Amino acid sequence: MISIIIKSLIIGALGGGAIAAGAARMFHTPKYQSMGAFRTLGELNACEGDPIAHYSFGLGFLFNAAAAVVASGALTQDVLHRVVPNFAAGTLLLGGKKAENTMHDPGKMMVTGALSGAIVVTFLNTLASAIPESLSVIAQEILSPASSMMMKTVMPIIFWMAALDAGKITGIWGTVLGGLAQMIMGNAVPGIVLGILIGQTVEEKGYNQSVKVMITIVVIMFITIAYFRGFFAKLGL
Amino acid sequence: MENKEGTMTGKSAALLLTDKIFPLLVAVACAAIFAGTHMYVVHGVGAFNEIFVVQMLDEGLNGGDFAAAAGFATGFLIARVLEGPLVGLLDIGGSLMTGVGIGIPAMMLAAGFTGPINNFPLALLTGGIIGLIIGIVIILVRKLMPEGISASGTGVMMGAGNATGRFLGPLIILSAIQYGIPSGLGAIIGAAIFYKLDRHIAGGAILGAMILAGLVQMFV
Repeated sequence: MISIIIKSLIIGALGGGAIAAGAARMFHTPKYQSMGAFRTLGELNACEGDPIAHYSFGLGFLFNAAAAVVASGALTQDVLHRVVPNFAAGTLLLGGKKAENTMHDPGKMMVTGALSGAIVVTFLNTLASAIPESLSVIAQEILSPASSMMMKTVMPIIFWMAALDAGKITGIWGTVLGGLAQMIMGNAVPGIVLGILIGQTVEEKGYNQSVKVMITIVVIMFITIAYFRGFFAKLGL
Repeated sequence: MENKEGTMTGKSAALLLTDKIFPLLVAVACAAIFAGTHMYVVHGVGAFNEIFVVQMLDEGLNGGDFAAAAGFATGFLIARVLEGPLVGLLDIGGSLMTGVGIGIPAMMLAAGFTGPINNFPLALLTGGIIGLIIGIVIILVRKLMPEGISASGTGVMMGAGNATGRFLGPLIILSAIQYGIPSGLGAIIGAAIFYKLDRHIAGGAILGAMILAGLVQMFV
């Protein structure tokens, strides 16, 4: 338990600080390279200036994360996407300060982000380890079949349909790479994802330099994986 | 640094906005996320990702086949790293949390390279180095290749990714019903309550199933 707390504090402080500083840089995109997500930027702007709005928004997602971590040990992406940036911004804005001098400042965001991150991650991780073993066994036995159905059937179909709906070239690339990925890796999704990226770029810009680089990477990746998973041996090569 | 923004105060802000600092920020974030995966593998808690993505890694941890996790997550990593410099915003969900947090550990574990995942300081260090490389690549791509890949490709991909998350709720309810009547009832009630409260029904379904099945287990 002690080691979980210590590790969580370190992880939370590091991750929270870096992510919150990256989020502050979002207000200076595209002039400066930032990291975060467009939806986070929109949401931070939506409650700009009001610390209570930031806190309650973050709290809503903290609740989701708590449910997920108790059930499966996964914190959800929202901890770093939404909870930490909003708590960090809310803390800075307390006392009616202006967003331009606080939330948009990567230095200040880094400090409050590290603080929020350490508290949030430690809270969630200790919360989950307080759950009795028998309950997490139940959760695990329910989640495993659900996620296996998800991975083997639902996800390939969703991604495949997205590729087919995105135009002829994307559909063809997605179908070919998806099928090959199913054969070689045992799951079609990675192939379809790459097919969508290649297909959409070709549709918009033609076979430019970066598409060629990407196709080369994909071919090497497929051949390497096929070799290590014994696919060629199965073919008798 | 020289063109200090009118709205920005303090030297720290100007310094933290430079291109040089960006790889460091990515490195620190990756160190934390990679160590989060260490937490999950060792303590069963603390991975910075959605339930279904973490379950993919779990499939590998239990069955030994990491191909799905590695393929899925590194696909996202490559896509996001190419897209990040193009739009000026690196999506930390696809690139760092899924790519670095799930894909790279999956590849390492598949190759029998368990040290960086089982050892906490080593996990921090490994994540940091990976992040530093990613950050440098992004700044380089930004400078050298302004005409990168199409942003609409990642749009399609993200749309599909988000749709996937929605399927988990119903799938959990189906699975809970298969597991037993109490867990099934709990999942139905939990999902209904969470839906009413505008929360993801997956969380409600699994919590409801755990609570009701746990209670029945205790008294029967």
